[in-house]
Amino acid sequence: MNGTINLTLKVWRQPGPGQKGKFEIYQAKDINIHMSFLEMLDVVNEELILSGKDPIAFDHDCREGICGMCGAVVNGKAHGPKKGTTLCQLHMRHFRDGDTIVIEPFRSKAFPIIRDLVVDRSAFDEIIIAGGYISVNTGSAPDANSIPVPPQNAELAMDAAACIGCGACVAQCPNGSAMLFVASKVSHLALLPQGRPEAAKRVLSMTGRMKELGFGNCGNERECEAVCPKQISISHIARLNREFLKAGLFSRET
Amino acid sequence: MNWFIIFITSSVGKKLVMAFTGLCFVLFIIVHLFGNLTIFLGKESFLSYVEDLHRSHKYLIPLAEVFLLIFGLLHIVFGLVLYIQNLKARPISYNLRKNAGGRTVGSGTMPYTGLFLLIFISLHLVRFRFVEKITQNDFTILINTFNNLGYVIFYILAMVALGLHLSHGIWSSFQTFGVNHPKYNGLIEKGGILLSILFAVGFASIPIYIFTKLS
Amino acid sequence: MSLNPSIPSGPLEAKWTKYCSEIKLVSPANKRKFEIIVVGTGLAGASASAALAELGYNVKTFCIQDSPRRAHSIAAQGGINAAKNYQGDGDSIWRLFYDTIKGGDFRAREANVYRLAELSVKIIDHCVAQGVPFAREYGGLLANRSFGGALVSRTFYARGQTGQQLLLGAYSAMLRQVKAGRVSLFPRREVLDIVLVKGQARGIVARNLVTGELESYAAHAVVLATGGYGNIYFLSTNGMNSNVSASFRAYKRGAFFGNPCFVQIHPTCIPVSGHYQSKLTLMSESLRNDGRVWVPKDPKDKRRPEDIPESDRDYFLERLYPSYGNLVPRDVASRATKAICDQGRGVGPTGYAVYLDLSDAIKRDGKEVIEKKYGNLFEMYERITGVSPYVSPMMIYPAVHYVMGGLWVDYNLMTTIKGLFSLGEANFSDHGANRLGASALMQGLADGYFIIPYTIGGYLASDSFPPVSPSQGEFEDSKKEVSEFIRRLLSVKGRRTVTDFHRSLGSIMWEYAGMERSDEGLRKAKGMVEELREEYWQNLLLTGGEREFNQNLSKALRVADYLEFAGLIIEDALTRRESCGCHFNVAYQTPEHEPLRDDQNCAYVAAWEYGGKERPPILHKEPLVFENVTPGIRSYK
Ligand SMILES: Cc1cc2nc3c(=O)[nH]c(=O)nc-3n(C[C@H](O)[C@H](O)[C@H](O)COP(=O)(O)OP(=O)(O)OC[C@H]3O[C@@H](n4cnc5c(N)ncnc54)[C@H](O)[C@@H]3O)c2cc1C
Ligand code: HEM
Ligand code: FES
Repeated sequence: MNGTINLTLKVWRQPGPGQKGKFEIYQAKDINIHMSFLEMLDVVNEELILSGKDPIAFDHDCREGICGMCGAVVNGKAHGPKKGTTLCQLHMRHFRDGDTIVIEPFRSKAFPIIRDLVVDRSAFDEIIIAGGYISVNTGSAPDANSIPVPPQNAELAMDAAACIGCGACVAQCPNGSAMLFVASKVSHLALLPQGRPEAAKRVLSMTGRMKELGFGNCGNERECEAVCPKQISISHIARLNREFLKAGLFSRET
Repeated sequence: MNWFIIFITSSVGKKLVMAFTGLCFVLFIIVHLFGNLTIFLGKESFLSYVEDLHRSHKYLIPLAEVFLLIFGLLHIVFGLVLYIQNLKARPISYNLRKNAGGRTVGSGTMPYTGLFLLIFISLHLVRFRFVEKITQNDFTILINTFNNLGYVIFYILAMVALGLHLSHGIWSSFQTFGVNHPKYNGLIEKGGILLSILFAVGFASIPIYIFTKLS
Repeated sequence: MSLNPSIPSGPLEAKWTKYCSEIKLVSPANKRKFEIIVVGTGLAGASASAALAELGYNVKTFCIQDSPRRAHSIAAQGGINAAKNYQGDGDSIWRLFYDTIKGGDFRAREANVYRLAELSVKIIDHCVAQGVPFAREYGGLLANRSFGGALVSRTFYARGQTGQQLLLGAYSAMLRQVKAGRVSLFPRREVLDIVLVKGQARGIVARNLVTGELESYAAHAVVLATGGYGNIYFLSTNGMNSNVSASFRAYKRGAFFGNPCFVQIHPTCIPVSGHYQSKLTLMSESLRNDGRVWVPKDPKDKRRPEDIPESDRDYFLERLYPSYGNLVPRDVASRATKAICDQGRGVGPTGYAVYLDLSDAIKRDGKEVIEKKYGNLFEMYERITGVSPYVSPMMIYPAVHYVMGGLWVDYNLMTTIKGLFSLGEANFSDHGANRLGASALMQGLADGYFIIPYTIGGYLASDSFPPVSPSQGEFEDSKKEVSEFIRRLLSVKGRRTVTDFHRSLGSIMWEYAGMERSDEGLRKAKGMVEELREEYWQNLLLTGGEREFNQNLSKALRVADYLEFAGLIIEDALTRRESCGCHFNVAYQTPEHEPLRDDQNCAYVAAWEYGGKERPPILHKEPLVFENVTPGIRSYK
């Protein structure tokens, strides 16, 4: 299972926000197949630095697939070819010797490019600010076991809450929509008794904010689900839709 | 703003309008298909169906037409707005883009099959609805139209587009309405595709039948 | 300067309640007039920002990542402890307190630890109310699991993503306050200096990581919740952006640094696979609940692990520690693993790994049950190594994971700089010389939600605050210093990359100041680090400029601090003349190779004062007084 491969990288380079960018070609030689994709980029970057060139900028932190900071479109797919995997957890054994890999930043109007593969995803924070929480002040909560939660609901809520906010759903969605991201929060909180009091308000304000921020509209194309590193199901989008209908037609919120 | 306007012009609201109007069309074309298929029972059956329809549902028909018109306009306008908004959401497209496994031919071509259907429906209405029916009856119109190979091909293509549009559209409308549950997801998806095939085949069989047998 | 831990008087159980009822309060109308800077958005920083803003303070919150939700707390897998005793298995606040003190090898403050145990209960209540989807039993009540170092089941968890869920809870509580207009977010900022005005911490200088510009912010108090410095070892389970910089700059401005040498090595991480390795991945400790750790009895046994029969396996933890077995605390498990590998009995291509085997549990409970508990961990393991743990046992090896050391703080969580507070992993903590699993999350949230909101009020109500502006002299001076530092780094123009330096530093530290230390090794390391630091300032190669998005420059600033800070770790390790918890000096061990404490002479917190440029640091000792527990031999046999 040991071995090394050689690759050709075609990488989007852009010096700064709003500036002109272009693809550059790099050779990645003797890449150990047990490396992660980001470690492969590290190796390429070390070489670039040693030859006096600017390294490829890319975001990353945990490198464990949980912080949601990494991400790029690799060969046409957000986070690359392997299902349920972030870029940092994508290992080079999934590529073959001689492959050409096209690496592009997540592209969306709501995610302006900062540099190379680094994009600004603060729009996601904005969506949460619009209502992705339960309004409870510190210290005022009742005993944790005072409200039982059906374990099936807790599990479903956890499925949705597993979202790492990486933005792959937006990047892959042909419409640049953030519905899976929004739905995962709406669904997570709607499934728990603690989240019900604000459910109507939350779904309306979060979807409203999504639109204002320039994200597209869901086309039910399931591309988001297909690339989601946490494999969050579009059934959560359906739950959002139900919540939306209920809130729009039967609650006092607008 | 009025709450209802806010509701239906929101991101999800627009989709709900698409889904609602789309499903109404589906109901309409189910009826339409059954009616049209009477052609296979012969000229008399077909004409008596048409006559029956217009006689016994004197008020229903114009009413339905008004609604279809409004829904049609809504579907088209909202569809275009969505299409434009979605294009704007990704101002710079990818150099290399692959489907990750969710997209289908149907889902990827919704706006295009839709626009094609718009052209088709316009011609279809000019040809069959807004036409003088004194010197000719519905049957003769039908025969005359589908004697023309070009029109037959156009019609068949339109029905392929319809099938594609609905292969995604039916399932998608249910999803938009939040109808998604492991217990019946299979039924909706497969049912939607089956129905789309039936529509495409059912409608397309008529011009073929006429062109090959009745002319 | 004298060290006053400011511990309230009175019986242990009543200290915090008494403190809270006696502390000076800030009137609601005045809270609006106070500005507080919070640096860090992990569990500690996010919870503090939320709680302070809820009270009415104006909060400015800073973090390095593009979104506050990505702080490294997100990566915690296993769970969070709380003395709820929902399982009725004999747990209590006292027991959690005692386990934590004992787990820390009696090197923590009683009063702080007791308060932590007391508040643990409220944390769970609050998090459930926020919508944290903790695991539940069939009846809908909360589920618990057991963790290393405890004989009760008190750990609450959300699959293998507890840290993520708790952090998202705190993050969303904080964002709710953004909406309320009381928190302003400053992501992609790296704090590079603390600004003191008339002896009070009154602001910060931060680098905007997008534009590269230096920015100053003023406030009435500054809270540092910047996490741990574990990745000074290069390879660790910490996030790539972890650093010591903010704490270290505070240290240079007069904050004492507590117990810098207390570094925890986690026993169950995925072993190193090559030189290119950039970080290590933790396999949650919870796996040790159902997993058994072993190596082949015969080191030359080259059969596949699943083919090695029971009789040819050495379950060394069970053999060495019959009563706790695979559930011994982390330091004990790590050292035992290292010892086995050093004897040449390790497995895998490098020989630096042992098996962690869940096949017995799979046989006992069925694959489904195990999958439900550990499915995502198994997937992660398979993703990284390409081997499925359902088929073949996992291979694990210890790795740097957590630092107990950090800025010295008193009972109020205030450092030796007035108005500078430190929370979470960044402070020298309640965990003494070793932290028990699932206790860091508890501490971070206790600090942020329940302690700082009180103690900061006490400070703000009892001191006076002349107005300051971010354009005044002190801020400008600090900005100049920082920018000078940056320019100097950029002007080196040598031939070695930052990562290369960092890797070298890491291997020195791992080798000589890691799991096992000796005076000789530490002294050697000191020289090596010095040399490396000199080389750094002569041979560092950076590209790009100051005023741009320049990740390498950010990294270079952190490594520059690490190179200096490494000396402090080594110094601290050298001066502690005992072994305790994670600090294992080979000169002090029992015949069974367990750490040998010296309670007579070493029951103290080492608080280091910056001695000035190129001058040795000054050691202050805060004696640890045990009035309620008797330090015993920490035996897990
Ligand atoms: C892999 C892993 C698993 C773990 N599992 C568990 C577990 O199961 N149970 C448990 O109890 N504990 C666990 N821990 C430990 C625990 O997660 C951490 O100790 C805890 O989360 C630290 O929280 P924090 O808020 O102090 O810091 P962090 O979460 O590390 O946050 C630090 C924050 O400070 C910011 N920051 C740092 N430096 C600067 C600077 N110079 N300028 C501006 N901002 C800065 C960062 O951007 C970040 O927002 C685990 C740790 C790891 C690494
Ligand atoms: C007149 C021409 C038409 C146009 C321009 C058009 C356009 C569109 C577009 C662009 C969509 C996708 C909306 C989105 O997902 O964002 C759509 C969806 C849909 N269309 Fe049409 N369409 C047309 C005719 C029809 C007809 C004739 C039918 C039915 C017989 C139909 C049924 C549907 C359905 C069911 C949907 C799915 C709604 C959803 O996704 O929730 N459409 N249409
Ligand atoms: S770096 Fe954290 S998810 Fe990839």
